[in-house]
Amino acid sequence: MRAFQMQCRAEIIRVTRNRYFVFWSLLMPILFYYIFTNVVNTHAPDQAAWQAHYLMSMTAFSVMGSSIMTLGIRLVQERTQGWSAFIRITPLSDRIYFAAQMAGQSFIHLLSITIIFIAGALINGVSLTALEWLLSGLWILIGSFPFLALGTLIGLMKKVETAAGVSNVLYMVLAVAGGMWMPLEVMPKTMQTIGKWMPSYNFGNGAWEIVRGGTPNWNNILILIAYSALFMLLSKYIRRKQEAV
Amino acid sequence: MNDVVCLRNVTKSFHQRLVVDDVSFSLKAGEVVAILGPNGAGKTTTISMILGLIKPTDGEVLLFNRQPHEKQVRERIGTMLQEVSVIPGLKVREILELIRSYYAQPLSTDELINLTGLTDQDLKTRAEKLSGGQKRRLSFALALAGNPELIIFDEPTVGMDITSRNRFWETVRMLAAQGKSIIFSTHYLQEADDAAGRILLFNGGKIVADGTPEQIKARISKQTVSFSIDPDVSLEKLYLHDEIKDIYRKNNRVYVQSDHTDRILEFIFQEKIGARDILVERGKLDDAFQQLTSSNKEAI
Repeated sequence: MRAFQMQCRAEIIRVTRNRYFVFWSLLMPILFYYIFTNVVNTHAPDQAAWQAHYLMSMTAFSVMGSSIMTLGIRLVQERTQGWSAFIRITPLSDRIYFAAQMAGQSFIHLLSITIIFIAGALINGVSLTALEWLLSGLWILIGSFPFLALGTLIGLMKKVETAAGVSNVLYMVLAVAGGMWMPLEVMPKTMQTIGKWMPSYNFGNGAWEIVRGGTPNWNNILILIAYSALFMLLSKYIRRKQEAV
Repeated sequence: MNDVVCLRNVTKSFHQRLVVDDVSFSLKAGEVVAILGPNGAGKTTTISMILGLIKPTDGEVLLFNRQPHEKQVRERIGTMLQEVSVIPGLKVREILELIRSYYAQPLSTDELINLTGLTDQDLKTRAEKLSGGQKRRLSFALALAGNPELIIFDEPTVGMDITSRNRFWETVRMLAAQGKSIIFSTHYLQEADDAAGRILLFNGGKIVADGTPEQIKARISKQTVSFSIDPDVSLEKLYLHDEIKDIYRKNNRVYVQSDHTDRILEFIFQEKIGARDILVERGKLDDAFQQLTSSNKEAI
């Protein structure tokens, strides 16, 4: 149990010391949020609704990023630098190690969500009911699961450079195509159709529905579960292939 | 059956290439064993199999009569891998605390600092900013964190300067005196000779010799008796003795090679050939070892 706590603590310390994390997962989303709700005039009919909507977009964007990039790149780093091999010969079990990584990552997400929500409340005075804050936060926390699975998939790559490159591109494509930077409604028809099948759109849409006073759609939940299963199966298959050598 | 380590007919091949070929040996508690051999002899692969990091293609590896990956085994071993392993984002002291928490009965942080020579400055430094030498010290401390009974080092002194090297071996000798079992791999004969009580000489994936450093040295180095002599004196009489393996002249001296140098001295006096400045020498070990290494390369 002590090992689990220490491991969680270590994971959290490491992430908060990571400058890329602080920049990409905290500063960037908050900056974007400020720009697209205050500097650029988006001609939204209902300013308050837009400000709440875009706060959810940016929070989801941040959490998606740290799931894919921070986790994925860190896994590759640990393996290439021989740390994983070293951990394997200590008494720490693989299960506790993995659980601690996930717990640490979730704690970081919780931290990001809280900080970005507070920023939204301070910058634009976004006001939601307590239940809406809570539910949207929870949705983003739990809904990040397929992206964590994608992160572990990226974590199987051989080189840190490839992992960083691939995860960066994936992150940006998912964010734009999923309507996190600008709503799908303003995009061309084909983009909208594709977007609706993206995990990022379904992730964001749950939170958008909540702040609109609704609840996430069933198909949002189903699509996210399907992506999780796909990414997990893929990483299991690749891992088995790598071990066979 | 109180072997700390036991390998039975262990073989490992990668893509049909045989890297470790039918290796068997066992280690008693308290032994300090060097796995000595040139690069590519199969040392690291053997160590990886002992650690359970890779599985043998054939044969069996047991540590404390258990499989290497079992938790009870993990509790009792410590290791320093060839590839220096650090976890980025944490300070040295935090890493020590973290790894100590994995073990039931760890050494205290103070003990680890004393054993490995980590400085206060090191402890405050983040792992990714450590120099090569500092990383080695940290790795050493991590190997000892769980107060292991069996310590395994893969090429431990690569990248260490002379001072840290000496300090490292001093600590290893102290650990051996405490009754720890130690296996380390090296391609320096000198290190194996200084630190180990037993050497396993690896070549081409096989154990080609297993014995005390003295036995190994006797096997790989040639002994000679050399002396000065008038150039016109014939050496024919000496050729008659079959104890002599080789005779040659170099720089006005005669060199006689044999495994039994005492007998050679007897012959020299018996035959009254007028030898002066007689020297009994053992050939340079490193030269002999190098020869073994290079001949191995040719064979491949």
